[in-house]
Parts: sequence; C-alpha cells; structure tokens
Amino acid sequence: MISGITVKNRSVREPVMRWVFTVSALTAVLAVGLICVFLFAGGFPAIGKIGVLKFLTGTVWKPTYDDFGILPMIVGSLYVTAGAILLGVPVGIFAAVFMAKVCPKPLYGFMKPALDLLAGIPSVVYGFFGIVVLVPFVRNTFGGDGSSMVTASLLLGIMILPTVIGITESALRAVPDELYEGAVALGASHERAVFGVVLPAAKSGVMAAVVLGVGRAIGETMAVKMVAGNQTVLRAPDEFLKGVRTLTANVVLEMGYAEGLHREALIATGVVLFVFILLINLLFSALKKERTE
Amino acid sequence: MKKIFALALAALPLFTALTACSSPAGGFDKGTAITVVSREEGSGTRDAVRDLFDVKDADGKENVTEEAITADGTGVMISNVAGNPYAIGYCSVASLNDTVKALTIDGVAATAGNVKNGSYTIQRPFYLATLGEAEGLAKDFIDFILSAEGQAAMVKRCVPIDENAPAYSGGRPSGNLVVGGSSSVTPVMQDLVEAYKAVNPNAAVTIQESDSSKGMNDAKSGAYDIGMASRALKDAEISDGLVPVHIALDGIAVIVHPENPLTALTNEQVRNIYNGEFTKWSGVQ
Repeated sequence: MISGITVKNRSVREPVMRWVFTVSALTAVLAVGLICVFLFAGGFPAIGKIGVLKFLTGTVWKPTYDDFGILPMIVGSLYVTAGAILLGVPVGIFAAVFMAKVCPKPLYGFMKPALDLLAGIPSVVYGFFGIVVLVPFVRNTFGGDGSSMVTASLLLGIMILPTVIGITESALRAVPDELYEGAVALGASHERAVFGVVLPAAKSGVMAAVVLGVGRAIGETMAVKMVAGNQTVLRAPDEFLKGVRTLTANVVLEMGYAEGLHREALIATGVVLFVFILLINLLFSALKKERTE
Repeated sequence: MKKIFALALAALPLFTALTACSSPAGGFDKGTAITVVSREEGSGTRDAVRDLFDVKDADGKENVTEEAITADGTGVMISNVAGNPYAIGYCSVASLNDTVKALTIDGVAATAGNVKNGSYTIQRPFYLATLGEAEGLAKDFIDFILSAEGQAAMVKRCVPIDENAPAYSGGRPSGNLVVGGSSSVTPVMQDLVEAYKAVNPNAAVTIQESDSSKGMNDAKSGAYDIGMASRALKDAEISDGLVPVHIALDGIAVIVHPENPLTALTNEQVRNIYNGEFTKWSGVQ
C-alpha cells in the first residue's frame, strides 16, 4: 500500500520536477537571448542613423549637437583596462603563488576569507574608496586633477585581484605534485621549482585568469565613473594623468536625461561593449578548451 | 628576502601617513590648474549654466572645455568639489552645504534671499502650465503648490516665491493627474506630490520626466495634465493656449573648495573658466 503511493507519486513527481529543472535552466538562456535581442534591436538603428564609421571612429561626443563619436570612450576603456591588467596581474599572480605554495596554514585561513571579502565588496564602495583615498593620493603625488586614467587603473587593479588570484591559485593547485617533486629532486630550490616548473605548467590557467580580469575591468561601471574624470577627449597613452570616459561610464552618466537619438546612441554604446565582452568570453572558452585537452 | 618583505611592510603605513598629511600642509597654490567640474550632457542645470553664463561659441553652441570633469548628479558634483582644493563647480542654491563654498557673482552672494529679490541673477524660474485655466484636480494641486504647505515642501530643492502663502484649503478631489516635463523641476515635483498625498490621499499623481519643451508640447496636446518647465513660457506657447503658473525660483551657485581663498567672480570670469580660457587659478584675479 505504502509502496504503491510512493510509486504513484514518483511517476507524477519525476516528470514535473524534470520540467521545473528544464524551465529553470531555460530561464538563464532566455535572459541572455532577451538581452541580446533588446540590445541589438535598440542599438543598431542608432548606429545606422549615425553611420557605423562616424559612430565608431568619431572623436567628438556632443549629443546636444548630434555629434555621436565614441572612439574616445572605446580608447578610454582600453587604456583603463590595460592599466588595471598591468598593475593587477603581476600582484595577483605573485599573490596566488604565495597562497598556493608558500603560505603557512594559519595565515591561509586568514588570507582566503579576506580575499573573498575583497571580491564581495560592492563596486560603489570601491568607488568611495577611490574618491576619498586614491584621487587625493594621485593628485598629491603625481599632480593633475586626481581623477585620471591612472587612478581608475589603480582602483580596477585592486578590483580584479580576487578574480586573478582565485583562478591562478586553482590552476597552480591543479598542477600534479610530481612536477614540483621532480624539480626539487633534480636539485631545484623551492622558489625555482615553483616559478620554473609549476607556474609555466599552469600557463593556460593563468591566461584564463588574465582574460577574466580583463572582462571584469572592462565591464566595471560604478567605481570607474567615480574616479576617471569622464572627459570625452581622445587621449594619447602618455596623458595618463588626465581623465578619460569609458564605454560603461558613458552609458550610466547620460542615461538619466537622454532622449531620442541620444538614448539610442547610448544603447548602441552598450552594443559595442557587449561585443567586447563577447570576444573576451570566446577567448576564455578557447583557453579553457586548450587547458582541458 | 624576508628582510626586504619586512621593510616593505614597515614602509607601507609610513607612506600612507605621508600622503594623508601632505594635502593641507601645502596651502593653496595659485599656480595650479583649475579643475573644472561640469554636469553631464542633458542635465537641466548644465543647460542653465550654458545660458546664464553664456558659455557658447560664435555659433551659439555650448563650448564647455573638453577637460571638464563630468559629474552626474548634484551629490557627485558637490563631493568632487569638496574633495579637490582646486576644483570649481556649480549646483542649485538649495543644495549648498558646508563642504563647499559658494562664490559671489558680480558681487552678489548666492543666497535664497538674493535669488528671490532678483539681485542674484544666476537664476531661472520654475513654471507649471495647463491647457486653458486649470480646473478640478489640476487646479486643486496647483492651489496646494502655491499654499503654505506646498511652498514649504519645496524649500529643500529651490526657492519658493511666497513664504507667506495661505494654508491649503482645497476640497481634496479624487482622480488621476499626469505631470511631466523639465528634469530640473522633477525632483521638486516629487517632493510636492509626496506632500500632496499627505493632505489629499484621494488623488494619484504620476510624474513623467523629460524636458521643458516636451513638457509644454505634451501639456498642449493633452498627454500631460500639467507641464513643467525650468524657464519662462515662450510667447508661442502662451498663444497656443497654455496658462503659466510661476511656482518657484532656482538659483545656481558657483562653488569651490573651502580652502580656496577666492570669494568672488564675475559672470565673465566664470564663462572664461568654463570655456577653458583660464586654466590656472593665477589667471583669475
């Protein structure tokens, strides 16, 4: 009798739950699809109206007078991201080596949660930290306004640390111990074995960490717009003490009051950003594939 | 190796302490470049500064210096100026606080009183407009805005025109109202709607934010019951049947860091700072 009930229940429950799981999985895919459709449908007409070349290579952004050139913002995003990688990746990789191969256990028990906390801090809090600490620091040390490319890069360099450290660390831990032991057996010191054998063996994992760091840096909005100055001027790389506007900042700064073509142009800015992120994700999955093979 | 690490650790707090102390020690250096802070494209306050200080080129287009930092919102503007001794910015007189210093323009201080008596000329009026004389709920809402309660609800964001207005004594009619237009008036309107709800819970007021011209056009077409404008109505708009109601004034203060010794600027100096002609504080006499 009892078993009869459970069998009956199971015959109902299993297909129902299967549907629940399928729908849950589809929701995520559907969300991505909807975002794509909305973004491209909203952005492409504007790009068409402005002109692809004029939009992507124009250097003047004055929506009030129908000048929609986003080259300064594309370049700004690239500078700030490159700066963040330059500052954040070396620190991140060394930190990961420390965590995986050097760190004594009690200290690790403190470092790991601290890093998780760093990853969990909302970006607006990073932004406040940037305004209160980094901007005056850069202004007093290097001169200029303080709100600049270098400030944004510094802040983003800190923000990508948890991503870079986390992925690099797990890549290092995934390297078989035999490699390390073999190196030590051949007479290498601990440091030499780690940097000469283990780290190169984890190369593709480290690359993946860098790519994800790039993705995090290029997509960051709130913190960057608070410290970058947001000028829509096409900068040369040596003007790193001057401000730039990133693609993300452009959208969030002006969306509030934008109307008509201005609004569509901001959505089109989002399309360009989306394409960047898409490329980064493709690169990441290519690297992942290489790692698993 | 360990020694170097320990040394680096010891140097870090020292370094932080040094940078933290270095800012007030130097005093104000007039040879430093001016950090111009501007609002974002599309902001009503930015447009008002363009018009009131005539920051335009020969063709009448806005020519704010490209090097201006963009701050989105009054709060960001004030924290930018409060955090940088060499910055200059602007905000509504009603938003001023102790972290920044308002400059006198052409010798007149940016205070609510000077805005109201008209001596501080960097100001703009806030208007509402209805198609024909307002009636029913729209009339009651406008009566409320011009009453003591309504004027009191605006003090936080702009300068009311009548502090001695009589108390609200409307019939509390029910219904729906759509108010739309200027993004500069919108925050004021939000406070007003909040206050109106407290005295007349029967009414539902929806606010739609766009700009002054769209607000007037949609009030004319009937899409809005009441239009909002952060400027006086144009003659064409009035001859199309819109009835203007002056509800408040908004003064725009030019602000600097409290450490800046400067206390006064002329209209022309502000223009020259914003169009990039003056780049250093020493250029401002």
